[in-house]
Amino acid sequence: MFKFIKQYVETMTGVAIYPIISLLIFFIFFVVLLVYVKKMDKKRVNILSNIPLDQTEEQ
Amino acid sequence: MQVEKFYYDNRTVKNFAYATLLWGAVGMLVGLWASLQLVFPSLNITQYGSFGRLRPLHTNAVIFAFVGNGIFMGVYYSLQRLCKARMFSDTLSKIHFWGWQLIIVAAAVTLPLGLTQGAEYAELIWPIDIAITIIWVVFGWNMFGTIIKRREKHLYVAIWFYIATFVTVAVLHLVRSGELPYSWLKSYSFYAGVQDALVQWWYGHNAVAFFLTTPYLGLMYYFMPKAANRPVYSYKLSIIHFWALIFLYIWAGPHHLLYTALPNWAQSLGVVFSFMLIFPSWGGMINGLLTLRGAWDRVRDDVVLKFMVVAVTAYGMATFEGPMLSLKSVSAVAHYTDWIVAHVHVGALGWNGMLTFGVLYWLIPRIFGTTLYSKKLAANHFWLGTLGIVFYAVPLYWAGFTQSSMWKQFTDSGQLKYSFLETVTYLKPFYAMRSFGGALYLVGVFIMVYNMVKTVKSGKLIADEPAEAPALEKETADMHKGEHWHRWIERKPVQMLILSLVVILIGGVIEIVPTFMIKSNVPTISSVKPYTPLELQGRDIYVKEGCYTCHSQMIRPFRSETERYGEYSKAGEFVYDRPFQWGSKRMGPDLAREGSGNLKKTDGWHFRHLREPSSMSEGSIMPAYAFMIEEEIDTASTGAKIRAMQSLGVPYEKGFDKIANAALMEQAATITNNLKSDSIRISPNKEVIAVIAYLQRLGVDISKPQNQ
Repeated sequence: MFKFIKQYVETMTGVAIYPIISLLIFFIFFVVLLVYVKKMDKKRVNILSNIPLDQTEEQ
Repeated sequence: MQVEKFYYDNRTVKNFAYATLLWGAVGMLVGLWASLQLVFPSLNITQYGSFGRLRPLHTNAVIFAFVGNGIFMGVYYSLQRLCKARMFSDTLSKIHFWGWQLIIVAAAVTLPLGLTQGAEYAELIWPIDIAITIIWVVFGWNMFGTIIKRREKHLYVAIWFYIATFVTVAVLHLVRSGELPYSWLKSYSFYAGVQDALVQWWYGHNAVAFFLTTPYLGLMYYFMPKAANRPVYSYKLSIIHFWALIFLYIWAGPHHLLYTALPNWAQSLGVVFSFMLIFPSWGGMINGLLTLRGAWDRVRDDVVLKFMVVAVTAYGMATFEGPMLSLKSVSAVAHYTDWIVAHVHVGALGWNGMLTFGVLYWLIPRIFGTTLYSKKLAANHFWLGTLGIVFYAVPLYWAGFTQSSMWKQFTDSGQLKYSFLETVTYLKPFYAMRSFGGALYLVGVFIMVYNMVKTVKSGKLIADEPAEAPALEKETADMHKGEHWHRWIERKPVQMLILSLVVILIGGVIEIVPTFMIKSNVPTISSVKPYTPLELQGRDIYVKEGCYTCHSQMIRPFRSETERYGEYSKAGEFVYDRPFQWGSKRMGPDLAREGSGNLKKTDGWHFRHLREPSSMSEGSIMPAYAFMIEEEIDTASTGAKIRAMQSLGVPYEKGFDKIANAALMEQAATITNNLKSDSIRISPNKEVIAVIAYLQRLGVDISKPQNQ
């Protein structure tokens, strides 16, 4: 299935780098996420969290 | 602003709710029956009702029929209300509902017939796989149509979970279903051996994540605030929960393959990410439970909240246990034992089951404009369900520890203390207690069904529920100037879809691609040769009968395993295995070296054992396969099978497909001659001959001298 690219990557070495890359990607992703959530506007968070309850036709 | 009038579609919600009730009862009933087969093997009635075929029926029914319909019920109810819009298209809703039920019926017919791909939770054959793809697209189309015509600007976090579910399940299903058909019903996997194993557990674990978890978390984030009538504890936490969960889950698959022939780096990757999963999971659990802050007194009276509290608690327990189980030292004890079965049932019965029941009790009276028929019956259901989970799980945890320690015990003189059979017969009482727990749970479900029927009769379906909301402001170019970039994502479903896709693909690609690309990951063993046509046919029968549901073919590098089964398994042994058959549970012994070394038995032994297992192993709980003596080998398919294997890269000689049946008959004749000398007379074209040929091949190649 991957024949056409296979020959180029077969020679790849140092596969141990993969777990390290993955951890790095996640770490960066998570830090950005934390910063974003920290900076969220309180009023907007309040509006958002009330969406399911904001219904006049029930209860 | 102008207020628009519109109607919510409750009919589709009702249909999915009914289907949830029906398939829940059916799927659990099959589960109870299968569990009783382990105590009373005589309950394996005919080939269509043998454990190996019923167990996949149970898992598929509970996951895709019960929980599947539960997801759609909850999504169709909550999505309309969260978007303040009717579902995009009634026609698509209908196609989705009936298409999904047809798929379930097709599964319920094909699995007992032995039509299977032999990969756990992906057993369904290729035509059904295509049908699933089409119906899944219909679901997505209907969902995105609704989101796009919504009257609520923001996408509530529950919708994120639905979007991530849609996109990830699509990717998982497409990758796992990669197969080459060789007939109208059957196919071989694109992947072989280690690669197939990696794809399988990447799929299998994420089926748990994105079919049993993320959509239900979406439901939790909608229905728990509704039932408690207060907003979710922390919306910010729910954002972290969402992104961290979908990011981490996708990497965790390899923890199903610790100590196997999977490359080490992939195992480590799986362990680290599985362990980290505890944080978002517990964040979600805490968020769910704290939503009830200040409302705990209501939990005493409100049966809906009771169900939800147990569900979220079970989620917490299962997601604590999961990361622990993925530590290598814990996995060494738990893998292949009943501990895993207990673990998944805490998730399935506790988290999925109890949350579904809570939603049903909340939703059915509302869409029928009535009140619940009997709160008392619902309370009884709650206690039966909760006790059922305890009675189910505790004996199996105990059985798991016991089994594992019995496998690993040596006598003072260095011999294995117990034969495998002793460990099985010892566990029978535990299996009986487990069935009792399952029966309690099922009685609760029947009580619920009765309660629901009565409730429905006392009301009338509000098929089109009136609602009104102002139309959404038309967007202009400078409207969003200066706002935070993430709001651009949160507002737009398509951006959300793409970002979710990217997040889950990163994990998938890094995990799977190297194994496909790098030769050094799967060292080749020169003495490992393709199966002969007879062995191939035998292997396909092994797959068809679901032998993998009880037998592993993967010896881990522990002394207790190498003493019992022989040399530990190597990645290179499996390069011709499509699908791989490593298994996940040892109800019976490992078979990886069944045809070699100390484990080798005569053809006559296998014949008698397959005909009546207890005649050779007293107390065996294996089903009898006497029908294999009557059924004939499907020799008409041999050529097509060889050709399919050739195009997948198996080095059969050119033109071998034409002479394959001759080779098959020749090998079959040798076996029938062996049997004759053991005073067993049988014609060579019977299934049992092929199965014996396959079993006698297992582990043979690696014991041969290697020529480099």
